[in-house]
Amino acid sequence: MIAAIGLVAGIVAGLFLEPTVPLWLQPYLPIAVVAALDAVFGGLRSLLDGIFDDKVFVVSFVANVLVAALIVYLGDQLGVGAQLSTGVVVVLGIRIFSNAAAIRRHLFHA
Amino acid sequence: MSLLTNLIEHSLDEGYAEAAARRAAGHEPSSRNGWLFAAGLVLIGLLLATAALQVRNRAPAAAQARDALTTEIGQRTAATDQLETDVQKLRASVAAAREDALGLTSTGSALAATLSDLEVVTGAGAVRGPGLAVHLEDAKDAASDPRGADSRTEGRITDRDLQTIVNEVWAAGAEAIAINGQRLTSLSAIRSAGQAILVDFRPLSPPYDVVAVGDSNTMQRRVVDGFGGSYLQVLRNYGITYTVKTRTSVALPAAAGLPVRYATVPEQPAGNS
Repeated sequence: MIAAIGLVAGIVAGLFLEPTVPLWLQPYLPIAVVAALDAVFGGLRSLLDGIFDDKVFVVSFVANVLVAALIVYLGDQLGVGAQLSTGVVVVLGIRIFSNAAAIRRHLFHA
Repeated sequence: MSLLTNLIEHSLDEGYAEAAARRAAGHEPSSRNGWLFAAGLVLIGLLLATAALQVRNRAPAAAQARDALTTEIGQRTAATDQLETDVQKLRASVAAAREDALGLTSTGSALAATLSDLEVVTGAGAVRGPGLAVHLEDAKDAASDPRGADSRTEGRITDRDLQTIVNEVWAAGAEAIAINGQRLTSLSAIRSAGQAILVDFRPLSPPYDVVAVGDSNTMQRRVVDGFGGSYLQVLRNYGITYTVKTRTSVALPAAAGLPVRYATVPEQPAGNS
């Protein structure tokens, strides 16, 4: 319940406040979104597995976003930002897919 | 591959399992920190909404910028065209005034005749006469958008093709040539910028019409039977279509300008020093 309220509150706040993203932060926004999705799917799966933990969820989300942004920042400085972005998206994408598959197995037993 | 396998098998953050193990062992009370959780989710929601807004707001901005540039290109082109017609008008009045002034004396009349002959040869004056028209069209399947990633360039006419054909038409005896209404002069260059072909820095758009004044039948025979004909045949293999037709009368405009800034006539005839 608190999860749904929090998520909706965040989305509504984002839509109404329309925070302007500073230019230097814009390249990291897509990466942050993918990292957030990874955290959400991981949390959902652990919830279904019965081992959900709030602290792990929040810490893993924040840490994933920061590490992903750091990798991309480092890549930008080294001139391989696009490639490292792709790498981050691939790794997180694989995780999202296999977590989504686990959630599907839990929900539909198929 | 073991890296990928590892990634797929351990897709769930191992922190969850460790936290569960700690709880089971009784090291940690299973206190649900609701506020932290809610704050994290608010953050995620905020992130998703911001990203969505960002994507939605950025697309119109790009389109607006492109529209503004397109309008500006249109305006500037129209202004250039306007200036060019002004130039033609002024040049006509200058020519008329010159004619009047030179017509007063017999040497003046002779000079006027030489001048108009030179104007024809250099491209500074409009000409009319029998001629030849070479019409070239890009292949049907050549991508019309040059910025397209999969643009097929082999069916498109390049500056090299136009250069070769113009050269062949000169060689066949043309006395004056214009491409899509751009008169070629002794200072003309046919080149490309990106995918567009420029003649005297004016971009041309396909199809291309190379119109020449000269002995039309001789020119047609020489162009079609000579190297030009075989070159056009090669182009046809790429899907480019062309026609070479004689015209009883064609009118070519004067060139927009023949700016000479550095070259001067030497006081001593060249070769004497």
